[in-house]
Amino acid sequence: MDDMRAVENAVSTAEIKIAARGVQVFYGDTHAIKDVDVDIPDRTVTAFIGPSGCGKSTFLRCLNRMNDTIPICRVGGKITLDGEDIYDKRVDPVQLRAKVGMVFQKPNPFPKSIYDNVAYGPKIHGLNRNKAELDEIVETSLRKAALWGEVKDRLSEPGTGLSGGQQQRLCIARAIATSPEVLLMDEPCSALDPIATAQVEELIDELRSQFSVVIVTHSMQQAARVSQRTAFFHLGNLVEYGETSHIFTNPSDPRTESYITGRIG
Amino acid sequence: MTDAAVATPPRHGSLLSADDRTRRRNAAERRFRLYGLIAVGIAIAALIVLLSSILVNGSSAFRQTFLHLDIHLDEKVLDKSGTRDVAVMSKVTTIGYGKLIDAALKTTIEDEGIAVAGLTAKDVTDMISKEAAAQVRTRVLADPDLVGQTVSFKVLANGRIDGYLKGRVTQESAVRDSNVSPRQLHLADALREKGLLSRDFNWGFITAADASELRPEAAGLGVAILGSAYMMIIVLVLSLPIGVAASIYLEEFAPQNRWTDLIEVNISNLAAVPSIVYGILGLAIFINFAGLPQSAPIVGGLVLTLMTLPRIIIPTRAALKSVPPSIREAALGVGASKMQSTLHHVLPLAMPGILTGTIIGLAQALGETAPLLLIGMVAFVRDYPGAPPEGFFDPAAALPVQVYNWTQRSDPAFVERASGAIIVLLIFLLIMNAVAIVLRRKFERRW
Amino acid sequence: MSISVLVLIVLAVAAAGYVLARRRALALAGGDRRKLHSLIGYYGQTVFLFASVPALLLLGAWLFVQPIVIENRVAALITAADIPEGGSLDLVLSDVRRVAAGLDAVAAADGLSEADVAAMQADVSTVRDRLAGVGVALGAEVKPNVFKAATVYRGAANTSRLAMAVAVIAVALAGFGLSIRRVRPDFRARNVFEAFLVTLLIGASLVAVLTTVGIVASLLFESIHFFQLYPAKDFFFSLTWNPQFRGGSSLGIWPLLWGTLYVSFVALLFAVPIGMMIAIYLSEYASKRMRSLAKPAIEILAGIPTIVYGLFALITVGPLLRDYLAQPMGLGESSSSVMTAGLVMGVMLIPFVSSLSDDVINAVPQAMRDGSYGLGATQSETVRQVILPAALPGIVGAILLAASRAIGETMIVVMGAGAAARLGLNPFEAMTTITVKIVSQLTGDTEFASPETLVAFALGMMLFIFTLALNVIALVVVRKYREQYE
Repeated sequence: MDDMRAVENAVSTAEIKIAARGVQVFYGDTHAIKDVDVDIPDRTVTAFIGPSGCGKSTFLRCLNRMNDTIPICRVGGKITLDGEDIYDKRVDPVQLRAKVGMVFQKPNPFPKSIYDNVAYGPKIHGLNRNKAELDEIVETSLRKAALWGEVKDRLSEPGTGLSGGQQQRLCIARAIATSPEVLLMDEPCSALDPIATAQVEELIDELRSQFSVVIVTHSMQQAARVSQRTAFFHLGNLVEYGETSHIFTNPSDPRTESYITGRIG
Repeated sequence: MTDAAVATPPRHGSLLSADDRTRRRNAAERRFRLYGLIAVGIAIAALIVLLSSILVNGSSAFRQTFLHLDIHLDEKVLDKSGTRDVAVMSKVTTIGYGKLIDAALKTTIEDEGIAVAGLTAKDVTDMISKEAAAQVRTRVLADPDLVGQTVSFKVLANGRIDGYLKGRVTQESAVRDSNVSPRQLHLADALREKGLLSRDFNWGFITAADASELRPEAAGLGVAILGSAYMMIIVLVLSLPIGVAASIYLEEFAPQNRWTDLIEVNISNLAAVPSIVYGILGLAIFINFAGLPQSAPIVGGLVLTLMTLPRIIIPTRAALKSVPPSIREAALGVGASKMQSTLHHVLPLAMPGILTGTIIGLAQALGETAPLLLIGMVAFVRDYPGAPPEGFFDPAAALPVQVYNWTQRSDPAFVERASGAIIVLLIFLLIMNAVAIVLRRKFERRW
Repeated sequence: MSISVLVLIVLAVAAAGYVLARRRALALAGGDRRKLHSLIGYYGQTVFLFASVPALLLLGAWLFVQPIVIENRVAALITAADIPEGGSLDLVLSDVRRVAAGLDAVAAADGLSEADVAAMQADVSTVRDRLAGVGVALGAEVKPNVFKAATVYRGAANTSRLAMAVAVIAVALAGFGLSIRRVRPDFRARNVFEAFLVTLLIGASLVAVLTTVGIVASLLFESIHFFQLYPAKDFFFSLTWNPQFRGGSSLGIWPLLWGTLYVSFVALLFAVPIGMMIAIYLSEYASKRMRSLAKPAIEILAGIPTIVYGLFALITVGPLLRDYLAQPMGLGESSSSVMTAGLVMGVMLIPFVSSLSDDVINAVPQAMRDGSYGLGATQSETVRQVILPAALPGIVGAILLAASRAIGETMIVVMGAGAAARLGLNPFEAMTTITVKIVSQLTGDTEFASPETLVAFALGMMLFIFTLALNVIALVVVRKYREQYE
């Protein structure tokens, strides 16, 4: 594992997928994110860590404008995806979210069949020309999410009937079915048991070959296991950002060190 | 695990320009939004049309056409004995008074020099409401010393003349109408010019009793308002204590078992039973079985109480439930009994919510019509019910039923009356709901 | 002795009990309140309750049962010959009651003694005039047997009143005496008082159960009565509704059921889409300001009594539809029609559907919305493809509840749908419903024991069963739905 990671770390420095500059987020009067600059490379797993309420999830939700759905939330600064400002007036959040998919903390399959769950995204974005193509997209996505083997015989059963880990992988399959370029994951394993967590983590590692993955986690072990780059947030500030191995072994900021050694958080 | 056969996903175009599909989807989004807006618009338009139709039709009921006449109260007709004894004078019926009014109008027409071609004596007589004689008689009997004098009176004009002033009757319609002639309308115009015929505020509409089909101009809501008030008193006195007691039991004392489950399901189903079924219940149990009188506020009140109870219990339980358990625990903690903790702490804190729910329940009961139809409240009642509690057993009308009653009559003047009665009903409801809102605003507590 | 005086006496006894019990408790404790088991007020309240509640309950029960007992005794005096052609025992009995009331009035007005009243029997023919003199108008001469029954009725009523007064006061005094004797310093007054109170609370909650029992019993007994007079087969399967006062009526439920369902269908067709779109718009799209204006406006619609909607149908919507739609298209000449009633009922149901849908839509967890937005769905796609399917059971429940409302609605159809029983498809024709016929059969002048009147109870039974079934199904569906997200 270690030497693999070393190779990929080299890759991750290559191409910047998302660049954030001077991002500020306000919830009403609360200043939730303060002047954050981050470059997220393509085909890498980037982890956001930090104590609860530090703003890591808020920042994640800025990356596909999910914060737009919260009326009191205001976002300042500049975030670009492939050099295009995603908060530009001309950008339709709907199109943006097709490119930047998201997986949530709690598995939230729709109360529909497994098939319909995965097919939902391709259908609304019109990614298929016919049923056969849709079938193919569903199958590929489920395979990529490492769920195909478990559900291929019961695609018409409701997605809510799966186990927690399966549900979360179904949500991942649903997210990758729209062929996004970036996959945001908001504590995807926090509601799962250790075995399911291991499966999802393994999956995240696989996904890295095709997507830029950004994962928010409160588990430092998880960040260390799956990510190549890590950003540490504290009280709305981005305290430190760099190679995961570097952050965990040799943090430059005393706050990061306190967090990693378990004194804050 | 990864399917090697699948190539890298296709890359999307620029974010800065919306593709065709996105544009189509956004158009669909705007359409959907528009449908929602239209739906809200329809509902609000319906409300506005509904209220304005009632207001337009009904506001004229509060103004009524009166004739201003100086009537000579002839002693020879009204009190031959000359004793001014009311008992003797009351032998003179309204016919005697009618003649005097008739004469007064004819004199007035002559004195003022009004000439209408082809005017007959009957035309003149019919200008005056049949109720006018009763009005004058009542006033004279109340004050016998008026006899022998010439007193100026404001008497009701005929309903058709009133309709003419309100635009309901026209010269064209009068030609076809056997109850009114175009000559009378000319006469009305002339009298109006002289200031002898005018429209004034119609207190009688609010205080007078109902009148027969032929005298829409005299029909009033007095008995109906009184009857509704009696019923509301009964509903309030019975349903508030019973409702609160039942809620306290179910919320605070009842053990969780099938029996209480049954009561709860029962109550939620009762709230949804059609109101007319309560009317059937009232007819079968209170009138046929227990022998209570028909058309009496007591029966209406009991039926409406049964109907209102579940509608009071549900919000009352919600109000009790919203009092946090910490309050109960605090009271129990200092050694209060469960009953003490409930009566001293929980109930007072829940009171604003209970009262709000009760007022809204009462407002619903006030507007309820269907069950009252079945227990005989449609009957034509001209006498005011007596004072409570005996008056609860006297026949009376009810506001909403009076509305229904008037709509069943053929004279179009009753449409105006019915709409006017609705306005009165809505004003009462408005006041009740306003009180409920004020209560809620003032005492609302967030835990 | 009038009932209010009796009530006052009972309350006076109870109040005296309150005062005396406090004194006695205090005296027995040697003037030291702290030696009492309970607060002193509880001793008084306990005696108050024991003195007043049983007596008042007895009073209520007596008043309820008395007319039934007396009626039975009086009915025995009426022979078959006293019942006029085409009349019934019920009508004669009501005559008896009126004569009795009239005699009371005559006795009061002229200061007659009981003997004088009894003497009137000698010359029955004058009775009608004398009663008319006190404002009791009778349709025919008083028959001797009716007069006799009336005097018996009066006698029984008077005796019963007296017995009631004695019994009630005795119970009050007994309650007073028994409870005050138990007042001692170690008497657990609070516990007794509270137990008594809980019993009263249970009694109050039983009123709801009794109401249901009353509804079911009255519907059931009179329906059975009806089916004894009229074959059930014809009621359930006949396609004609044609009541005749002279007998030989056809009383098939189908035309009424059809009218009911047709009007309800039109109403739901109008109210469900609009109500749901309103709920969606207000919960998903509208600005806070818009919501704060539109929501109360729609709630006003819910607070308007149905008689107002009925009048609206009668004087505005009906003529409008007739003049601008039905007549130009040659579909009908009637201002009351299925369409009129349906549309107005639809307006009435809008707030009902929208507030129920609002609850249901808000019960769909935010995570569902996030999931959909996260995939790049627009709001309308999220609503149509995620929220509505997720909320479907709840929405079905809401529609069922609205349907139950529509079926049971009376005033709008009485004033808007018409009275003609008809099995037709043209929505601009007048049709009639179950509720309309319940009203018309029970408010007319038909006699009570005829099938034409009793059919109303059978119709009421059907109505009750339909609405109850819809409600129960709706509640089960909604409960299941709630559990899904809890």
